[in-house]
This record gives sequence, structure tokens and C-alpha cells, in this order.
Amino acid sequence: MKKILGTAAAFMMLLTAGCSSQSSSGGNTSENGEWTPSQPIEITAPAGPGGGWDTTARMASQVFEQEKIIDKRLPVVNKAGGGGAIGWAYVAGKEGSPHHMFVGSPPLVLVPLNGQSEYGYDDFTPIANVIADYGAFVVKADAKWDNLNDLFEDMKKDPASVSVIGTSSPGSMDHMQFVKIAKAAGVDVTKIKYISDPDAGGLTAVLNGSVDVYTTGVAETIEQVRAGKIKVLGITSEERLEGEVLSDFPTAKEQGIDETFINWRGFFGPPNMDPAAVEYYEQKFKELNDSPAWDEIRKKYGWGELYMDSEEYSEFLKIEAEDMETLLEELGLARN
Amino acid sequence: MDAFQGLMSGFQVAFSLQGILFVFIGVFVGTFIGMMPGLGPISAIAIMIPITYSMDPTVALVMMAGVYYGAIFGGSSSSILLNAPGVAGTVATAFDGYPMAQQGKAGKALAIAAIASFTGGTVSVILLMLFTPMLSAVAVSFGPAEYFALMFMGLTAISSLSEGSTIKAFISATLGFIVVTIGIDSQTGTSRFTFGNPNLLEGIDFLVIALGLFALAEVCTLVLNRKDDTMSNNKELGSLRISKQDMKEMRGPMTRQSLLGFIIGVLPGAGATIASFIAYITEKKMAKNPEEFGKGSIKGLAAPETANNAATGGAFVPLLSLGIPGSGTTAVLLGAFLVLGVQPGPLLIQDRPEVFWGIIASMYVGNIFLLILNLPLIPYIAKVLRIPRPMLISLVIIFSLIGVYAISFNTFDLYLLVAFGIIGFLMRMVSFPAAPFILAFILGGMMEQALRQTLTISNGSLSIFLDKPIALTLIGVSLLTILVPLFTSKRKLTEASPEKQKNIS
Repeated sequence: MKKILGTAAAFMMLLTAGCSSQSSSGGNTSENGEWTPSQPIEITAPAGPGGGWDTTARMASQVFEQEKIIDKRLPVVNKAGGGGAIGWAYVAGKEGSPHHMFVGSPPLVLVPLNGQSEYGYDDFTPIANVIADYGAFVVKADAKWDNLNDLFEDMKKDPASVSVIGTSSPGSMDHMQFVKIAKAAGVDVTKIKYISDPDAGGLTAVLNGSVDVYTTGVAETIEQVRAGKIKVLGITSEERLEGEVLSDFPTAKEQGIDETFINWRGFFGPPNMDPAAVEYYEQKFKELNDSPAWDEIRKKYGWGELYMDSEEYSEFLKIEAEDMETLLEELGLARN
Repeated sequence: MDAFQGLMSGFQVAFSLQGILFVFIGVFVGTFIGMMPGLGPISAIAIMIPITYSMDPTVALVMMAGVYYGAIFGGSSSSILLNAPGVAGTVATAFDGYPMAQQGKAGKALAIAAIASFTGGTVSVILLMLFTPMLSAVAVSFGPAEYFALMFMGLTAISSLSEGSTIKAFISATLGFIVVTIGIDSQTGTSRFTFGNPNLLEGIDFLVIALGLFALAEVCTLVLNRKDDTMSNNKELGSLRISKQDMKEMRGPMTRQSLLGFIIGVLPGAGATIASFIAYITEKKMAKNPEEFGKGSIKGLAAPETANNAATGGAFVPLLSLGIPGSGTTAVLLGAFLVLGVQPGPLLIQDRPEVFWGIIASMYVGNIFLLILNLPLIPYIAKVLRIPRPMLISLVIIFSLIGVYAISFNTFDLYLLVAFGIIGFLMRMVSFPAAPFILAFILGGMMEQALRQTLTISNGSLSIFLDKPIALTLIGVSLLTILVPLFTSKRKLTEASPEKQKNIS
């Protein structure tokens, strides 16, 4: 047993050693100004293992290494806590380093607006967006509503007559995607009865009739729809999605509600990352995005494709943040 | 018979050379990480996902499932030997397991835990095999109101977890309730009691509290009593043999808690931890000599150990038949399914019968492996106790620190761990029991959330509990368990000794 304990301790030390790779700015800049990394590139997943951020980080690292797109190692570290705030603070501390990046998505805009993170999207250097997911609004198969307009008609008459459940807390993604669409349909969004279930009990609550509407990601609904247990009233994408079952889901837009919500996911560098390094990574993410290996991973996880380079990404985020701030202020959830 | 054919094909997978090998690897890894305080099945499975990328999905899932139930199986060792629960599900195991080990019966305690785990695991696999399609309806029958009632019932355990003063038990539980409110409130998104510290936003991890209040507090006591030689016999492993009398005592709890644990496991969100606590209190309530509980009772050890393993089996019902993860570990496991191209849900049994039945069949094999892996290892595992005390104390401290650091790789958690170690030690000095604290911490968070969800749905009206038969029954039962002893003890009071009066007040 002693031996086992010993090996375990050694193993743990290795693990922790691997996590504290040194940080410094640098890299090699050639005469014509092209930058290349000089040491391993650390990707931070601002959450624990197993979630969306972690999976994106690990899969990107894997494809970069295996397809030899980048000839340096790309270790992934998990900095969980504060809904991302801990990880963001960690990367913010690596100011100027071209060998650090992290995975970001709408919480990077929403959490700071809720007053729960010192750092927000505008503190970091957007590198590239790679993935888009969309929201879906789900009811039980025998519910009285057949489309979003039926539902929103009832909610316009009495917003409190309908209960909505999602995994994230109010003011975060599941809530905001529903609010954004409902507002466009003319519902008084300040009166929406939103319930949060961080233990992912939303689907259960809809199946047993405790709650009326479940707001979630598109991929999470497919299997239950196939089994005939639930129906999807609408999704938040611009156009219908491709794929078996998926292509049956009507968008909010085609139901006359002119609004969308994108659950974007991309990579960010620390504040003031060297523009030459950003350019280098942009190029590499483009290669990643176009590689068959990444396409396979996208299909496996049901992720949509959405590539944006650093400049497009910055523009997109700005508009996104303004939209969200307006909505949060209306809901009385903005704290800045 | 379709199910029979399915099971046969499942056994074919489980008994193939590859199947047996990977079940073995799974349960071996699981036992090992279960034994290490802090290393949990969540990170082990998450690390395995990329490795299994190109494997046959059934074989890969069989292995990862093995890690999951193997960890609960193995978690009992550190609870019993060091009072340091390896996983959340084995906190209740320490209540009677550790005292037993201190009495020089470590071998017996480990053997009882292994047999109880095996029984709970095997019974739950049988139930899983027979009833999964039917039970998927049970799994979704619990809404927020029902969860609140279930947690409420769990809370009635506080009085039975008290060693002596009930008042002290309630004060300790209140502290647990206070601590669990730290962090972002899920219903409003407001941060509570974080004092602007982002490290507290997600609340305090359960393991920080468990290792602080139990393991570190124990270490402090050991250091304080280092010259005290009366406890030297605790180095003895003792006989592994379980007498017929012991077996007879275990039979009741094992039968009942296999069933109860399984059903609680089926409910998403309840899980092994709550199952083990409810098992502990129901057995204490039913026991002829409840005063033995907490002092090394065989029943008090067998009950939670059976229940946590049975609950682990039960957790596969919502996962396989609905695609609903009931816990953090099953959520990661669900992710593993998806990566391997298998979608758990109502159609799994038709679409991929070999996966469905393969996992179930492998769990029979896995449980047998766990038993034959664990029983012969007991003398070696128990040698931990022979380690000289100064070494042992250092080891417990090191492992607690590593375990907590491994949760989030955040040094802040280490300070918290030390703080809770000190709190736990002070609580011991003035004989405040730590168990009600941890129980309130586990139940409190879910209970508050369930209550507020319920009241949001009902627009603030409490009458919603009257409309829900399951919730009403559970609350009724809880009230009875609180009130009945009050009345009976009042009657006894007239003839009771002064010592007893103290207990009641």
C-alpha cells in the first residue's frame, strides 16, 4: 500500500507540475515580422473537466497536435470556479503572453455584466471564433402549444402563467436566449417566471409536468424528440439546421419572430497579445476549422461551424455585448 | 423473450476477452481512485474520454462505468481506516467504520464494507436489468416539490446523528446550512456571503468540508493525544472473519438498503450520498439498540455501504433510459457516451441493445471482480494502520491537501481546508458533532433550491405541497418521525433517569 501511495503521490506531483508551466512573453519573430511560438501553448478551460469549454479546449489541442497544424504541444489546464471568473482572472494575469489562450462563449459577456467577474470579453484579445450552437425551446409532447406563437400569445396575456426552466442562473445563457426571443415576440420579459436548475433537472421537470418550457441547447433535445417525449417549439438559429431530426426544428425567425441567439465559442488571448502572434493563431485556427479531423469532431458533438477572425470577432462581440446589456438592464439584472 | 436475448448478447460482450480485461481495468482504476481522498471518478472519467476515442463504444463504456462504481466501492477504505472519506458517498461509512477500526477491528470493518458493497451493487444490477424501462417513469416522477420533501425527510436524521446533546446537533446543522448558502444563488444570480472574493462564487466544495471536519480534525486529535497509549491496539488489523452472528446482523440492513438505495439512486440528483445517509438513519431508527450506532455498529457500517453502491446502480436508470444525468459523475459519463457516438435515452435499448445490455452484464462481472479484488487486499490496505503515527498523520495531511487541490487546482481551497480543519477540531473539543454539519450542507443546498423552485412555480403558494401526493406523504412521514419520539419520550420522562432528560432537552 505504501508503494501505491508513493506512486500516486509522484503521479499527482507530475500532474500538478504539468499544470504550472511557466509563462513569459516571447516567441520567435523572423525578419519579415512573422511570429512563431517558442514554447508550449497553454489553453485554459475556465471550468472543470467534461463540460463544453473543457471539451472544446481538449479537442482543439488534440487536432492541432495530431494534424501537426502547430508543431508545439498545447496542454489544456482547468481553472474552474466563479462561472469562469477564476480562469479569466488567471489568463488576465498573463498580460502580453503569446503562449496562453482560453476558450470563451456568451458567459464571457454575461457574467461580467451580472457583476460576477472583474474581467470581461473586452479585457482580452479575441483570436478566432470556431463554433456556433443554438438554443431550443422545448415543451412536453402533449403540451397545448404547437409553435412559439401559441406559447407567446399565452405569455402576452399572462406571463406568470407559464414557467420556464433552464440550467444556468437568471441573467445567464439559458435565460437570456429565451428572453431575447420572447421580447422580440412582444412578451413582457420582466414578468417571465424563470427557474434555474444547476443540477440539469430541467428536462425532468418538463417531462413530469412541473414546469412548462425548457430552454436548452439544440443537441440536448434530439433524442427525446425522436422518442416522442417532447416537442421543440422553436430554435434560435438564423436558418434551419442540417441533420436528421434537427432539420425538423422550426426557427423562431420563420415563425415571424425576427430574432436569433448564437451560442458562440472561440479562443481568446491575454490582454495586449502581440498582433503578430494573433495573426499567426488566426491562420492556424482557420486551418483547424477547415481540417477534416475538426469536421469529424464537430459532427460528433453536434457543433455548428462559425469561423470569425480576430477583427470580425471583436465587431461581433461588441454588438453582442450591447444587445445583452440592454436586455439585462431591462430585466434589472445588470450590475455595473 | 427480447430482454433475455439482449442480456445474453450483453454477456457475450462482457465475457469476451476484451470485455473482461476492460471491466477489470475499469474497476481497478475505480477502486484505486476511490481510496485516495479527493481523487474522484469525475476527473478519472474525463481523463479517459480522449483515450477511449477510437475504442469499441461498448467496451469503452463498460470500462468507464467500472470506474464509477469501483470508486464508490473503494471509497470506503479511507473512510474506515483514516476517517478521510474518499468520495462523498462514503462519508456515512466513517460514522461506524472508523470507530470499528479504532477498536482493532479494521479487517472486519473492511470485510463488512466489501460484502455490503457487493450485495448492494449486485442487487441493484438485478433490479436494473429487470425494471429499467418501467423505472424510467419513476425517475421523472420527482419534481421540485417532491425533492424538497425528500430532503426534508433526510433532515430528520439530524437528531439521530447527535451523540448526546440534540441542541448541539441542531447548532452544528445550522452552521452547515449557513455555509452552504455561500456562493452564487442559482435562483437570482446574486452572490451571497462571498465578500467580493471570486473564489467563493461557486460555493465551497463538499470535499473541502468533509476532509476538513473529518480527516484534519482527526489528525489534530491524534497529535494532541500522541502520548496516549491506550489506543495502541488500533494498530491491530484484527480478524477478517465475519461470524454467523455478524452475518445475521448484516442481513437485515443489506436487504432493505439494497432496495431503498437503488430507488434513491434512480432519482436524478439524489444519488449515493443521500442514499447512504438515509440508509444510516432508517437503520438506526429500526435498530433494537440504536445507542451502538456511531460506536462501531455492524449495522451502521453495512447500511450506508450497501446503499451507496445500490444507488450507483440505480443512477444508471435515468442515464440509460432517459439520457438524464443524475449527478456530476453521470453527467461526465453522458458526455463520454456522446463522444463515442452512443446517445442514451428512451431509444437506446432498441437502437444499441449491445451497449445497453453490455453495460448491465458487465456490472455483474465488475462487482465480482471488485469483491475478489478487495477481499484479499484487505490485509495490505489495512497495513496503513501499522505506519508509525507521525508518518500516518503526515500522510493524511498530504493526501487531504492533494485531494482538495485536485478539485480545482486552486490554492484558495487549501486555506479553506485548513480553516475547516480548525473548525472541526474546535467543534470536537466542545463536543459538537460534525455529522449534522455535513448532512445539512449536503441537503441544505438542494433543499433551498427545490423549495424556491417550487414556490416560483406555484406563485408563492404553499398549497402546492398538498396537491402532490408523493411530496405530501414524504413530509407526513418526516413529521411523524419528529413528533412520535417527542410524545413517547414525554411519557417516559416521568420515570426516566436525569441523564435521559438531558438527552431530550
